[in-house]
Amino acid sequence: MKRKRLLATVAALALMISVISGCSGSGDKSSTADSSDKNKVNITVWLTPQWKGVLDASEKGADYDSFFKYAAQKFKAQYKKYDANVKVEVIAADQRDQLLNVNLSGGTPPDIFFESIFPMGDYVHRGAMVPIDDIIDEKAKSDIAQSYWDASTFGGKTYFYPFEHNPGTLVYNADMFKAAGLEKYVGKENEIKTWSLDEYQEILDGLKNDLPKDKYSNAYPMGLFALNNQGDTWNLAYLRMFGNKFFDDQGNVILNDQNGAKAAAWLKKIYDGGYTNPGAESVSSNDTNAMFQNQQLAISFTNPVLFNNSKISMKDGKSPKFDIRLANIPSESGDPLAFTYVVGASVFQSGDAKRVEVAKDFVKFFSSDPELVKSSKNGIPVRSSVVKQFEGTNPLFAAYDADSKYMFNFTGSVPGYSQLREVLYPALQALYTGEESPEEVVEDYQKNANRVIGENKKNSIIFNP
Amino acid sequence: MKIRNNFIKENITGYLFILPQMIVFLAFLVYPILEGIRLSMYRINYQNERFVGLDNYVSLFNDPVFFKALMNTVIFVVFIVILTVGFALFVASAVFDKNAKYVSFIRGSYYIPVMVSMVVMSMIWSFLLNPANGLISYFAKDMGMGTFNLLGNKTTVLPIIIFVTFATNVGQAIILYIAAMIGVPKDLFEAAEIDGANRWQVIRKILIPSVSSTTVYISIINIIAVLKIFVVIQLLTGGGPNNSSVTLMYYLYNNAFKYNQLGTASAVGVIMFVITLVLSVPQLRSIIKAK
Repeated sequence: MKRKRLLATVAALALMISVISGCSGSGDKSSTADSSDKNKVNITVWLTPQWKGVLDASEKGADYDSFFKYAAQKFKAQYKKYDANVKVEVIAADQRDQLLNVNLSGGTPPDIFFESIFPMGDYVHRGAMVPIDDIIDEKAKSDIAQSYWDASTFGGKTYFYPFEHNPGTLVYNADMFKAAGLEKYVGKENEIKTWSLDEYQEILDGLKNDLPKDKYSNAYPMGLFALNNQGDTWNLAYLRMFGNKFFDDQGNVILNDQNGAKAAAWLKKIYDGGYTNPGAESVSSNDTNAMFQNQQLAISFTNPVLFNNSKISMKDGKSPKFDIRLANIPSESGDPLAFTYVVGASVFQSGDAKRVEVAKDFVKFFSSDPELVKSSKNGIPVRSSVVKQFEGTNPLFAAYDADSKYMFNFTGSVPGYSQLREVLYPALQALYTGEESPEEVVEDYQKNANRVIGENKKNSIIFNP
Repeated sequence: MKIRNNFIKENITGYLFILPQMIVFLAFLVYPILEGIRLSMYRINYQNERFVGLDNYVSLFNDPVFFKALMNTVIFVVFIVILTVGFALFVASAVFDKNAKYVSFIRGSYYIPVMVSMVVMSMIWSFLLNPANGLISYFAKDMGMGTFNLLGNKTTVLPIIIFVTFATNVGQAIILYIAAMIGVPKDLFEAAEIDGANRWQVIRKILIPSVSSTTVYISIINIIAVLKIFVVIQLLTGGGPNNSSVTLMYYLYNNAFKYNQLGTASAVGVIMFVITLVLSVPQLRSIIKAK
């Protein structure tokens, strides 16, 4: 009996020890691997989908990570300080905050993130990033316009290395315009057409009433969406249509005035009037983009990457072919509403000095290497040297440049911008469903938005250095 | 001292056998719960934590969206659990004594949606219900009913989510009920037949009382599952329109992963834990008492 019990006790102990040793085994292994090669530094680059291919999407096997994989190879070949390995991961844009927050809380942030600056400013405010002033030289400063450096600077320190920018505009189906008898509003092929608000209303009327139903069945004049925060910068632009400035000098939202309410009322008017796709409150920007490509919408939103991808898809026969052209978002004053997403790399504070050093070196390398910076032509290059190289082959660069004087800072550089985005689309949903009047919408939105900004100011290292 | 030594000697083997499980239980269940309670009283940044007492709870109770989420979650729990239990009882009591092949067919038919990922189901429903280019809108427009948006309407969005979740989950309850009903002693049915009881009386007086422990189990697992309802909200409505379909879990997710408000998210988690406990304990006690 005693022997049996002894055997059972030993078995139980063995089981327990195997569980415990199983847990600790992998940790021992990895630390041995680390100590065996002290010069080896592994860094991770995350990016949201920007452009396919190294130079462009026409390359064979072009994908969103092609550029960084190629840049990593080139970097490794010439890098002498360490044996650097760069792992590249493409992250879905709508998963960005979730993945970053989880990894930051777990102490495993990526070393580099390549993304539009606007949603990343929050991470600067929260102290998750390191300044990169030490890798920016005079040559880069003179080649990249000050406005892009301004967008990358928080509290006097630079946190992003600008690479390209993506101005947001409208895109329209010129064939549908012509079919509706709106030839006079069609701009030139390489022009970003500016319409007045009255002209825009005429266009919407023409598209609604005169578009041949046999050729374009189930089609609507303009895309409108408010399911989530994707594409919300266009919604922010529409809310400025009647002159509202959106932010005051202290970084508070000031939408609740006559002009703000007028803009909200305009959105409601075109929605109720059948000038847009139905169900805007449940439709995403992706849905409207797909509808535009299927010629179910005559006017939609775009940026240079989306615009180029659409053209390539048409060329490759992946989507129906039609004549697509660009237009500015109109405003009551007649001046176009223009904004741009500056895209660049940032370095996260991993807590490992070597990794931070390699990450900064890699950012400097791919953001300044003369061959690699050419890839910024997929958006609009921030480097004037690259613009000069490609302006002959891409005449739209000049058109985008002409819009730059109308640019507004849509984030206001406020802390908690990601959270701020989450209060905009419920407000628009309330507007489109008729739950609230335009006046109530702008009032509630301003109240909620300023609450979010106020809360986030408390945690900002920029506001509380 | 000797008695104590004997006690340890007698029981040490048993304790050692359950020790691995206890370690896992303590590390992955008890510790996260205690840590969640602790975090709910802190304001957390990437670099530091600051004790704020009950501030996170106060800010929750001042947020109208939290109350909307709480109310919606209660509505989902009540309706989905009642529908699931009611419909599963109906189907199971109708088929449990039929031909074995037929019973298998029914079980299989209702169980297929359970096996399909909720993500896939939500995407299919989203495709059907999309107001701009969804199939249902297309047919409605074709039939001259105009465009309608079931997901963008405050009054229809909750019933749609209830139906989608119920349709996806009910198979599990049907399987459990059929298994429980097959196990009810046959002599009870024979006695009822001799006494001249009709089908409804058999169901009401014999079947339902005999499977009461299954009913309690199904209710508890469904309450817990529905309290955590998230995927269908995230993929189908995004909490909209205007937060009309936001649930506690979705609210927690937004705070934790989108806004990085881990303290607030932990406070929501603690409240959900208390609600689950309050709803489950009386039912668990009834099972234990019955045994």
